[in-house]
Amino acid sequence: MPDGGRRRAEAGHGLSAVTTPERPGRPSLARRLRGPQDRTLWFWVFVGPFVLGLLVFVYVPIAWSIYLSFFDAYNTVTPSRFVGLGNYVDMLRDPAFRSSLLTFIVFAAFIVPTTFVLSLGAALLVARTRVMRAFFRSVFFMPVACSYVVAALIWKMSIFSGVRFGLVNTVLGWLGRDSIPFLSVTHPPWYWLVLVTVRLWLQVGFYMILFLAALQRISPTLYEAAAIDGAQGFQVFRHITLPQLRPASTAVILLLLINAFQAFDEFFNILSTFGGYPPYARPPLVYLYYTALGSGQDFGHGSAGAVILTLLIAIVALVQGRLTGIGRAAD
Amino acid sequence: MSDLASTRIDRRRVLLGIGGTALASATLAACGGNTGRQSSSTTTGGEGKPAIAQWYHQYGEAGTQQAVERYAKAYPAAKVTVTWKPGDYDQSTAASLLTNSGPDVFEYGNGPTIDMIKGNQVVDLTDLFGDARSDFNDAILKRFTYQDKIWAIPQVIDMQLLVYRKSMLDKAGVQPPETIDDLVSAAKELTGSKVKGLFLGNDGGAGLMGGPMLWSAGLDYLTDDNTFGFDDPKAAQAFTVLRTLFTSKDLLLGAPADWFDPSALTQGLTAMQFTGLWTFPDITKGLSDDFGCVPWPAMDGGAKSVPVGAYGSCVSARAKDVNASKAFAKWLWIDQTDDQLDFATAYGFHIPSRKSLLSKAKTLQSGPAKDAAQYAVDNGHAQTPLLWTPKCQTAFTDMMTKIVKDGADPEKQIAACQTVADAELKRVTA
Amino acid sequence: MAIVRSPTQRAWSVARYAGLGVASALFLIPFYLLVRNAFMSDTDLTAPDWYWLPPHWQWSNVTGVFDDPAVPMARALANSVAISVVQTIGVLVLSGLAGYGLARIPYRWSNAVFYTITATLLIPAAVTFVPSFVLVSTLGWISTLRGLIIPGLFQALATFLFRQFFLSFPKEIEEAAFLDGLGYWGTFWRIVVPNSGGFVAAIGTITFIGSWNAFLWPLVIGRDPSSWTVQIALSTYLTAQRVDLAQLFMAALIAILPLLLMFLFLQRWIVEGVERTGIAGD
Repeated sequence: MPDGGRRRAEAGHGLSAVTTPERPGRPSLARRLRGPQDRTLWFWVFVGPFVLGLLVFVYVPIAWSIYLSFFDAYNTVTPSRFVGLGNYVDMLRDPAFRSSLLTFIVFAAFIVPTTFVLSLGAALLVARTRVMRAFFRSVFFMPVACSYVVAALIWKMSIFSGVRFGLVNTVLGWLGRDSIPFLSVTHPPWYWLVLVTVRLWLQVGFYMILFLAALQRISPTLYEAAAIDGAQGFQVFRHITLPQLRPASTAVILLLLINAFQAFDEFFNILSTFGGYPPYARPPLVYLYYTALGSGQDFGHGSAGAVILTLLIAIVALVQGRLTGIGRAAD
Repeated sequence: MSDLASTRIDRRRVLLGIGGTALASATLAACGGNTGRQSSSTTTGGEGKPAIAQWYHQYGEAGTQQAVERYAKAYPAAKVTVTWKPGDYDQSTAASLLTNSGPDVFEYGNGPTIDMIKGNQVVDLTDLFGDARSDFNDAILKRFTYQDKIWAIPQVIDMQLLVYRKSMLDKAGVQPPETIDDLVSAAKELTGSKVKGLFLGNDGGAGLMGGPMLWSAGLDYLTDDNTFGFDDPKAAQAFTVLRTLFTSKDLLLGAPADWFDPSALTQGLTAMQFTGLWTFPDITKGLSDDFGCVPWPAMDGGAKSVPVGAYGSCVSARAKDVNASKAFAKWLWIDQTDDQLDFATAYGFHIPSRKSLLSKAKTLQSGPAKDAAQYAVDNGHAQTPLLWTPKCQTAFTDMMTKIVKDGADPEKQIAACQTVADAELKRVTA
Repeated sequence: MAIVRSPTQRAWSVARYAGLGVASALFLIPFYLLVRNAFMSDTDLTAPDWYWLPPHWQWSNVTGVFDDPAVPMARALANSVAISVVQTIGVLVLSGLAGYGLARIPYRWSNAVFYTITATLLIPAAVTFVPSFVLVSTLGWISTLRGLIIPGLFQALATFLFRQFFLSFPKEIEEAAFLDGLGYWGTFWRIVVPNSGGFVAAIGTITFIGSWNAFLWPLVIGRDPSSWTVQIALSTYLTAQRVDLAQLFMAALIAILPLLLMFLFLQRWIVEGVERTGIAGD
């Protein structure tokens, strides 16, 4: 938030706060609260309750998990045998875990731009539509309300069911084609079609709403000025809309990246069987669930794997920020 | 993660369960408790009796929940509260066992895991069995035993086996398969334009059939002295049979309901299906007596097999009163044979875990069900051995999937699985 | 801009509506299938022939779900509504305040606090599940409403989004409020919140959905069937001994219907809210 300082200079209210702590004989809390000038105090009035809860209910478990990652922790959360980086070494040596990380780097490289473009496209189309706008927006947003379990149920049992009464196979039948057992074969990998379509259906509406909210706040005067300058169509989009959407784009890309690497629910519900989860399209978290964090409780390796995954997400987020420049001017 | 998958996991376990939750923290207070401890009135279940929290996973069959509540209520020496848990029972139970708010007595699929035993989360129940020990199904009891101690009491047995449509086999002039070769050729004969010969699950048996194929080949997951059991060309050969079936077009793939549901058989999508005993009532409803069953056939040098599994009743080491909890587990799952029979046969279609009850189970006295009950005794194998940890199982499923679906080289895949398994075995036997 | 329309503009307009129409149809197919399947009989559902509409409408699927004695569906719906409403209000207040503080109150460590909050988004919740559970158990909150609701109140995502939103809130209005002597607290509640209706509604909707769809936490914290939420009730259909597909789809429909109705009902308000927010930026 580099502009925090800028705003401080611009806004012109409450400059005294910066020096408040050094002042001898501080006024009473009530007085400090009454005046708008004590920024530090007000900052914590606004942010404090949230941060406190976050510390207790989020940071403590996170710190606990990181602690566990350095221990031999089978079926216990209060382990005693310290193994240093042993769990990390094990996870990095595990070919199955490495392969799931690699798969999801590729997956992210595909799904992030695709979802970004589709959501932005939907937002632009909806924003320029006058007639039936509410209808279109509702249609795109409604899947967000659908739980992953329900969506997986519809996709697996009804749309891409492998036999004759699945929707897609019914259509193929009308075209005189054979049925395809979408989830049973690996060559070609039809299962990706199932997984990608369900994810797009579930997510596009959410990001569209974020883009729409941002689009609505672009000042019309900017467009008017552009029109006077003779800018048209794509030029306007490139030089006005896109730069104005930067904060929203940063948020969207970061969330998309996190969601891609933390994929679990729809993959699990669509591809897992009684016997386990197949070794393809297997998200890192699904692998950790099966080997360490589900009914088998190997918290040392499970936590180490999660820390590795988290670092990977952070690195990818930084790299994409560098490459695209979208991340930097974000705030 | 509520999921379609946990359905499958439940069924794989092939058992029923019932769960009770116990919010009340209660301790033994029993009059005459010989532990020498004073009972604390605030921690008892009232009337001076200890309170026991018993957990079951949600059994899908109507009436099961009422039944287990009835058994619990009838127990004279303690106040037992039943918790019935839907969803991911294994994970939520495993998490609860780490706290003091977990169950006292709980069921767990195929008994407690090796890490629960080694982590001292459950207590040794050997002394509860007494003379009854030899009366329990051998394969199951072996699965629940570690270092000569028994860690759970088998509740009720489920099994998987090969079921076929008699009329379809007759029409094609095919006999129920005795060997794997018979099976492969029968699948081919029985396949028509609208019917497939065999159904082993929508993944072509990659998840379900690894164990039975090992047993067919005369091998097992582990040897008797707990070393890796299938570093053997016969295993590669056995797994290759599944790959051949997968690519043969004789196998049903992508059915709406998976192998644990009888729909594919009753709707005429397949002539033979590997499925669970629990489907028999539905099959009878749909096909009357037009079906029969056999164990999974053998290859040269191997034997026929059926996988058997059982939920085991365990006692938590953190139970408020371990002795009272053990006494209750013994009362219900060893002494109360009428309740055990009721539980096995009155709601779903299962096999009592005690051999002496087989002859008393009306449901198992004739037809395919009678055959099946006998297979469980003669050909039963626990689904996986106790030392076969979730990590081994994941590596095993990876191996099977790559061999069956991708046509990967079986020898290399077995070696990859062995690397994981050897490391795990070294860890748990350390 | 609608005064003169060139043929090109008209062609674009037609193309836009055609695109939106096709996309909408694709997006609606799953809902159509859900409703169709929910009213089919199990036999028709798995029959080889394709039916666009159920040949025999099975209204008994509805009563079947509500009459099941083992699954208190009506009670579960009520629980879900209560928990989701409380959690949504809590998240909006906590994250709204925090987001505004981070966006607008200059403070030396503001950035550090912001990154500290955002960083938690990177950590998968599945991994911290067991420590969280043990923590809440240590607090003695198992089987309590507190245990069900409070740990879910601290949503870094909501705070992150609020902060991004407030960053681009028109500053002139707030400055005017400051000049009127409102202070941060007064400016936030009297000026900023009333002008952020659409965004608050959007975050509220998303939070409500997340809370409604939560599964594992309510499962391990709430133990008695009387404390089941809709998702847990739905999961019992997945574990039923024999999967009755039609019944399963009906239960799924019932589980998402309240959300869809709520959204459609609020839609108009959200639209107006967002647009008012937009106009306020002029």
